Amino acid sequence: MSSFVFMKVLESAPRRYDRGMNLLFLGRMEQLHEAIAAEVAAPGRRILDLGCGTGGVALASARRGATVTGIDTNPQMLEIARAKPLPPGAPPVEWLELGATEIEDAFPPESFHAVTASLVLSELGPLEQAYALRTARSRLRPGGVLVIADEIVPAASLRRLAWWAGRLPLVCLTYLLTQTTTRALEDPGGLVRAAGFAEIHERRFGRGTVVLLTARRGEAGP
Amino acid sequence: MSLPATVSALRDTVLRMFPHRAVPGLIPVGTPGPDSPVLLTCSFTLTLRRLQRVLAGRNVWLLAADTHGINVWCAAGGGYLTHHEVIAAIRSTGIEELVDHRELILPQLAATGVEPRRVRQATGWESRWGPARLEDLPAYLDRGRRTTRRDRRMRFPLWERLEMASMWAVWTALGGGALFALLGGWRTGVGVVISVLLTVGAVFAALPRLVVTGHRRWLTYGAFAILGTGIGAAVMLLLGAPTPRNLALQAVASVLAMAVLSIDLAGTTPWYPSTINTFRNFAHIDLEPERCTFAGDCVQVCPAEVLRLDGPTRKVVIARPDACLQCGACIVQCPSDALRFRYPDGRIIPPAAIRSTRMNMLGRRTVTVEGHDPAVTPGSSDTPA
Ligand code: SF4
Repeated sequence: MSSFVFMKVLESAPRRYDRGMNLLFLGRMEQLHEAIAAEVAAPGRRILDLGCGTGGVALASARRGATVTGIDTNPQMLEIARAKPLPPGAPPVEWLELGATEIEDAFPPESFHAVTASLVLSELGPLEQAYALRTARSRLRPGGVLVIADEIVPAASLRRLAWWAGRLPLVCLTYLLTQTTTRALEDPGGLVRAAGFAEIHERRFGRGTVVLLTARRGEAGP
Repeated sequence: MSLPATVSALRDTVLRMFPHRAVPGLIPVGTPGPDSPVLLTCSFTLTLRRLQRVLAGRNVWLLAADTHGINVWCAAGGGYLTHHEVIAAIRSTGIEELVDHRELILPQLAATGVEPRRVRQATGWESRWGPARLEDLPAYLDRGRRTTRRDRRMRFPLWERLEMASMWAVWTALGGGALFALLGGWRTGVGVVISVLLTVGAVFAALPRLVVTGHRRWLTYGAFAILGTGIGAAVMLLLGAPTPRNLALQAVASVLAMAVLSIDLAGTTPWYPSTINTFRNFAHIDLEPERCTFAGDCVQVCPAEVLRLDGPTRKVVIARPDACLQCGACIVQCPSDALRFRYPDGRIIPPAAIRSTRMNMLGRRTVTVEGHDPAVTPGSSDTPA
């Protein structure tokens, strides 16, 4: 009810987020951001980055010349993102305090060439995941691309156990040092398919714990 | 309660300082229909369990927002229960198809984080403040969804204090018991477990009468360390091992237990600002009377009866400044930005900063307004008007 002790830990999280994520992914966060941007970013393309956090993916896409809008519900994360520099010539990123279920309040249908979501979907409950993916699809132009990066749990129970055991020390260490952690998705492909996306491709990033998924909104139909 | 349910309830109670995440979404209680009330809550397992127990026999929709398993008050304070989570809950659950009204009952303690105005803008849903404590919900619903003064004031009855005590006591007792068993044998360990459990329990039972803030709090801790030593000594006597070494170990253990409790006993209660969060950084609630429009939202959401509506002047007054918990709820809800926090050195945290950064912790929310010298602002005084 009122354990405000816990609050101190919560509050410092945004400031330590970058450090925590890098530790959890053994220093490969930047590579992940670049891999996502490489899928979608090019000059003249409009990209929506869902749950942009401290801006890693959005800035990587902007460096490649894309016009990016980064949205996140956490104003403190956005403040950190805003303060990060972009090279001269890169289009400025628009940062908005907005949740994944509030896309329709700010953008008309078919606004974007691509939607990116890195380590975001797993943070949402199942209903919100479905809702956010459906709206994201409607804001994509026909043929537009969705890129999702998230941690994935192996489906088989034995491998799942090994996955947890292997992950636990790093998770504990990261949480102790930075009070950040991630969650994992079970079936990102299924989620995306249920939201109406097609041409779904999954590949692994970083020793098989992160899945990089691309999917398309088909040419026809709403 | 079935055995697994009892076990998980116990586990969540002693581990309550950590989040326990239930699946967020729509939870029907009874057989709710299109005109049943919709109550917003969090995704903390303990809260959901208590709500379902308290509301048994009624027909209501519980809308569990995704607060990452954190209780309403802490989530609202820490930015995990804001209008974003409320909007997400309304939209993703499809509640709009199940009811024909658009009224959401918000827990009063969500006021530190949720701005009803922004929920309305995005969804068209109107919000109404419910009571601070979920135990008061049945009476609130029967009364036609109106809160009373009693509903708004945060109470902390004995049973809840003991639940909260278990959060501190179980871990301190187990850790201390193991440590002191290694140092002095199993009897010493048993003595430590019993004395820690009883002493911490006694602290929480006596809490309303204790001084737990300011320098005099050390007297309180000292007295209970002596009590703990006495209990430990009695156990040693019963177990037939009252050696000087064992008695000394009991004293050390009691002092350590109180040291652990002193980390943030005040913040574990709904009566005081947290020692950790306000550490060397005590802010005062401050009213600019010329901005006050007598809207009364602040009085409605304050859990400590700090604020009062003054009929003759048609202004709010800060009636009990010393009772302020620095929760920020009144600031977040004031429609005319008439309330704000002020530090003793004169710096001011404007309402916009409170709305976007939430809790006041270790000074990081400190923002100084350019060109605004509170010393010369008329009415910015700590004394009630
Ligand atoms: S007066 Fe203090 S306790 Fe009351 S709502 Fe405002 S900040 Fe919270």
